[in-house]
Amino acid sequence: MAAGVGQLLLSCEGACVRRDGRLVVDGVDLELRRGEVVALLGPNGAGKSTLLDALVGGVAVGGGSVRRLGRVAIALQSPELARRSVLANVELALGWWGVRRSERRARALEALRLFGVDGLAARSAVGLSGGERRRVHLARALAVRPDVLLLDEPFAGLDAEARTALLQDSVAMLRSPGRATLVVVHDRAEAFALADRLVVMIAGRVVAGGPPRELLAAPPDLEVARFLGYDGELFGADGRLLLTRSANVILDPGGPLAARVARVVPLEDGVRLELEVSGDGWSGRVFAVSPLPAPGPGDEVRLRTENGVFLP
Amino acid sequence: MSFLWHELRLAVPMIVHGNPYLLSIIWFTVQVAGIATAAATAIGLPIGVALGLGRFRGRRVLIWLANAGLALPPVLVGLILFLLFVPQGPLGGLRLELTRQGVFVAQAVLALPFVAALSAAAIMGLPAGLLAQARAFGAGPVALAALAVREARIGVIAAVIAALATTLSEVGAILIVGGNVYGYDQTLASAALYEVDAASFADALAIGIVLVALIVVLLGGLSLLQERGGGIRWRFRPLS
Repeated sequence: MAAGVGQLLLSCEGACVRRDGRLVVDGVDLELRRGEVVALLGPNGAGKSTLLDALVGGVAVGGGSVRRLGRVAIALQSPELARRSVLANVELALGWWGVRRSERRARALEALRLFGVDGLAARSAVGLSGGERRRVHLARALAVRPDVLLLDEPFAGLDAEARTALLQDSVAMLRSPGRATLVVVHDRAEAFALADRLVVMIAGRVVAGGPPRELLAAPPDLEVARFLGYDGELFGADGRLLLTRSANVILDPGGPLAARVARVVPLEDGVRLELEVSGDGWSGRVFAVSPLPAPGPGDEVRLRTENGVFLP
Repeated sequence: MSFLWHELRLAVPMIVHGNPYLLSIIWFTVQVAGIATAAATAIGLPIGVALGLGRFRGRRVLIWLANAGLALPPVLVGLILFLLFVPQGPLGGLRLELTRQGVFVAQAVLALPFVAALSAAAIMGLPAGLLAQARAFGAGPVALAALAVREARIGVIAAVIAALATTLSEVGAILIVGGNVYGYDQTLASAALYEVDAASFADALAIGIVLVALIVVLLGGLSLLQERGGGIRWRFRPLS
């Protein structure tokens, strides 16, 4: 294990940020430690980008405090590059960061190689595709070798193929024993692929946090559960609420619950079913994914649930 | 039409044979354009960068003033400078009235808003993320200004072109500040006006043709530079 892993590098306590008089970040507590990758997840307008801005010092916190125990770099959401060659863009960032001129070329090329874009080094940044531009943007942020790296939606605006490819490469690239990484993502799959720890932010507040599997298995409340993909709700006759994700609902002829297919949405490898459950002590609406051939609208089916979440 | 043709036939030999008077005003025009545009750029570009990048109180008002400066009446500028430069004026000690130096100053003052306002607009048009990312990587004010000017270079060159065009073709301020003294502080534009007043239309036409040629050459050169500034191939640097 590398020296210093687990060392606190950045913390904020009760951080508040106002923008145009509106409280955008509301009392956020957060710690980042060397060696970990944390995903910050939340809906649009939750205050994620503003929080990142506050963590890097781009905006002052109006309340609470931010403590930086290392150098913090941020890769902003928009991957804007100067009208220069790819290599010159990375070298330019290294210059701003204070890296000696003699070291810039090698570091820039190394970072570009890590993201598979060293072949583009001599090309103008103007003609890059969206995916290439993102890779150069990330390479630039990694090249400066910060103690804390903040990434604001690094996969935004990419088509599915480029997104998947970049995500696969980023899983290894973003993990470093010498660095803490906080990455803002929209997609839960991205968060699960990248992070040791999830932090969920809704309406300016951190509402949940923890290792991805643990958080998914036990969301603290309905709002977080819904955000984590629990879109099915079954109300029990005993007053309990069972929340399900499509992975928790299994069509089973011998299952204990009866349901009627309300809607069918075709997927690449099957269908997504919207199911209305009633009887057997439960009622509500759940979603399931089924391979083909699948039942059609109006069909009666039986199902069971696995690993759903009960809320009182 | 025949009168125009007649005057044109008289004008052409004056141009072709290199009339010394014509050569002297061409040289002075080039001096005025060069010095005034250089001075306006040296002062106006930092102002434009500050207006384009700055986040200070009063920035909006200053941008508005710079934009209003584009429509500054040359006669009014000339009058105000003349009143400042006369011996009784606050800058009378500089002894600039009716001098070539006074003409340089007048043209620089008129060109200044073009450089400041248009370069500020070019910089404000840059993608916000580009500059924000540079700030986030620790770029200081000088590095940020260098990045902004380089990235907005097409617009900045357009600002210099506009300033140069003003210095080449403006006459009002030169007449008042310099006096349009024959053979001393005349530019091509003010000399053409002088000849029209003297009813020497052929001479005025010759001067006008030379002025247009000079404008085409100087502004064409800058336009070429601007065009290349927007290109990408010439900026590549070798890897090794």
